[in-house]
Amino acid sequence: MTDQSTQVQAGRVDVPARLELRSVRRSFGAIQAVSDATLSIRAGEIHALCGHNGAGKSTVVKMICGLLEPGGGEILLDGEPVSLHSTHDAQRLGIALVDQELSVIPHLTVAENLMLGSVGEPTFLRRSTIRRRAGELLARVGLTCSPDTLLEHLSIGERQLVEIARALSRGARVLLLDEPTATLSSAEIELVFDAVRATAAEGCAVIFVSHRLGEVIELCDRVTVMRDGRTVAESSTSGMHPNEIVHQMLGALPEKVAKAPLGAAPVMLRLRELAVPGVFQDVSLDISAGRIYALAGQVGSGASEVLRSVAGLYPSSTGAIDLDDRPVPQGRPGAAQRRGIAFASGDRKSEGLFLTKDVRTNLVVTRLPSVSTAGVVRRGRVRRESTDVAQVAGIDPSRLHTPVEQLSGGNQQKVLVGRSLADDRVKVLLLDEPTRGVDVGGRGAIHQTLRAAANDGMAVIFASTELDELIELADTVVTMREGRIVSIYEGSATEAAVLNDITHAEGIT
Amino acid sequence: MSSAELTIERDGREYRPPRLAHRLRAVARREVSELSTWVLVVAITVAVVLGARTPRFFSVDNGKAILVSAGTIGIAALGVTLIMVCGGLVSLAVGETAAVAGMVFLFSLDAGLLPALVASMAVAAVVTALQGAMVGAWQANPIILTIAVASILTAVGAQLSSQSAVKPASDAYEWLNRTPLGVPMVVLALLGLTVVVQLFMTMTRLGRLMYAVGENRAAARAAGLPIVSTVVVAFAAGGALMAVSGAFSASSSHTITLLGASQLTFNAVAAVLAGGTAIFGGSGSAIRTLVGALLIATVTDLLLLRGADIGMQTLVKGLLVLVVVLVGHRRGSGRRS
Repeated sequence: MTDQSTQVQAGRVDVPARLELRSVRRSFGAIQAVSDATLSIRAGEIHALCGHNGAGKSTVVKMICGLLEPGGGEILLDGEPVSLHSTHDAQRLGIALVDQELSVIPHLTVAENLMLGSVGEPTFLRRSTIRRRAGELLARVGLTCSPDTLLEHLSIGERQLVEIARALSRGARVLLLDEPTATLSSAEIELVFDAVRATAAEGCAVIFVSHRLGEVIELCDRVTVMRDGRTVAESSTSGMHPNEIVHQMLGALPEKVAKAPLGAAPVMLRLRELAVPGVFQDVSLDISAGRIYALAGQVGSGASEVLRSVAGLYPSSTGAIDLDDRPVPQGRPGAAQRRGIAFASGDRKSEGLFLTKDVRTNLVVTRLPSVSTAGVVRRGRVRRESTDVAQVAGIDPSRLHTPVEQLSGGNQQKVLVGRSLADDRVKVLLLDEPTRGVDVGGRGAIHQTLRAAANDGMAVIFASTELDELIELADTVVTMREGRIVSIYEGSATEAAVLNDITHAEGIT
Repeated sequence: MSSAELTIERDGREYRPPRLAHRLRAVARREVSELSTWVLVVAITVAVVLGARTPRFFSVDNGKAILVSAGTIGIAALGVTLIMVCGGLVSLAVGETAAVAGMVFLFSLDAGLLPALVASMAVAAVVTALQGAMVGAWQANPIILTIAVASILTAVGAQLSSQSAVKPASDAYEWLNRTPLGVPMVVLALLGLTVVVQLFMTMTRLGRLMYAVGENRAAARAAGLPIVSTVVVAFAAGGALMAVSGAFSASSSHTITLLGASQLTFNAVAAVLAGGTAIFGGSGSAIRTLVGALLIATVTDLLLLRGADIGMQTLVKGLLVLVVVLVGHRRGSGRRS
């Protein structure tokens, strides 16, 4: 890209960067969240910010958009040092944030949302003016809906486009996108990317925070990687392989986890014609101990619902669930748990963890009987058990007294998974989206933990929408679409085959 | 527990858990920090300032009177604490349950003190356990449910007291009015039960489950924890405590009526909230409720001594709860963001 190289040169001849961070620091109490963030983003550039959960990138984003004040260092906008005490300061200077939690209002029309909170406008605007302006803005981000559409009728991706359009309407000079694609379908992602490219082309500096390294390389011009509170590398993305970014994020490449050999292990869990009316039908599977099974399917395919019904969370499920040749009662989570079926929800905050309680409490909550004598919880046993489990699950033992809500997503997930580990009574471990919102390092650690659990004789079944995870981790991949099993791949599955099964075949070119 | 048993190795080094004194200090620090500290500071300042200007406030007799009224409020409030912590929100039938249980107590006194106490606790526990089952299994709304129960119990109580005037069947109850070493029995009972409930909530499996179920019911369900039995036990134990409170007030006035029922309900719930227990469950403790009960009893006493009528008393306590709830809400939302 010649265009890019001229920009690089322009940068060298002292045209100041649009946004520059010089050795910005920030600590919370004794914890140094960011110790040295040095970052330079030019106008018209799409710049990725990558790093582990806990590497400090959210802190950096918050400092740029005025949510947190830096503890040292300088933030410069077009070469001028600025001090951002509030989000209002940041907005006034043209810094706009679009994050996962959308701040658009569902019951207003698109046009009304676009005009919300705009600065320097007369209080009363003619309806026609609003509509015309809104139309222009929508065109700039490539959104084809009418300005009069109620926002609640738009998809999440389209709502994000409205947010981007709103940022443009406020004359944004710096646009921050924090994990914008986490909840989007691939078609929506393309729409958002086009809008981002258009925004950058108008001279806006775009900062793109994402865990999805493929997207980073596809969309961004340059990438800055953070590790342990520092910016450790800045590189151009052209010709880059995702593994290089992983390498920079981790300092080392994660080990690939070995797969279980194809063997004739005896069947432990047998599902026969399992069904939940209106959700999924006719699911029959033989699950053996020591293996990892993946249920692959998109949202609505029934993959995670199969897990939920095995865990007893669907009172209306029919068919048979046999564990060790004895039927498991259906629709009763407590009964399933006592038979050795553990479930880790994909929604770890509202259905997984006890957020205000510490790590230790969360780790022992399902094994209280085994740490109690005659109903009295023995402190010594809780301490021993939780320390052991923390080690197995890769949780820092010094964190045992930390409330779970203060942990990063990856560490929270380790706690949720760890709850079912090193427990003799657990025979089947069900996980819905085991690495949702977890960074690369945490993901590798969780994969290794799951493999170790399988090697110890557990049957692990997980549902995932992430192809590479399915292929990488599972010994057997079961693809599902529209509530039915499509095929079962023993040993080796290819991404193409799985993708073909879980989407409509005509959708694949 | 011998200390040798508790010794474990950590990072290759021997780790000896803190001794009892340290542990108590840690408990005290944790509970105090969880209280709405400034509510307490304001309350104590107001009590001292007002008390200094109120004749007879600072006297041994008045101190005893405060403690006695904190006794009946506090014991019932311990019951409400259990219900609130496990996510059962609140019982609005505290006074009615205590009154009916008190009647059962007086009626069955001819069998002796202990059997009468056990009978009244059992009756109350069954009544509240049924409510617990409905809350636990069918997710009945505890507020509406307990209002209904309060109304039913009022009718039952009226029936019981109209058939025969509620007179004690024997004077075995007098034991509850004794004052060993000058301390009224109800105060000793409050202190003892506070310790028991505190230990139950922190040290037993069921107690731990109550916190878990109260904090996040969906997570407890997904983890396969026994939700229904936990909630039922919390309600049953709560009912039994209300019965103890009823037995003490029946003993001190030698009879019991439904007249003070709604007052006790309000006082008990106010004590729990003033202590800083989270209304939506998952956090709270017996010690905090004890402090809340003392606070409510002191306020009531001050108002009585200053000649405030019942309307004024209700107004002031209502405002107190309002402030506590607002402060608690702000703290709660501050933590979440």
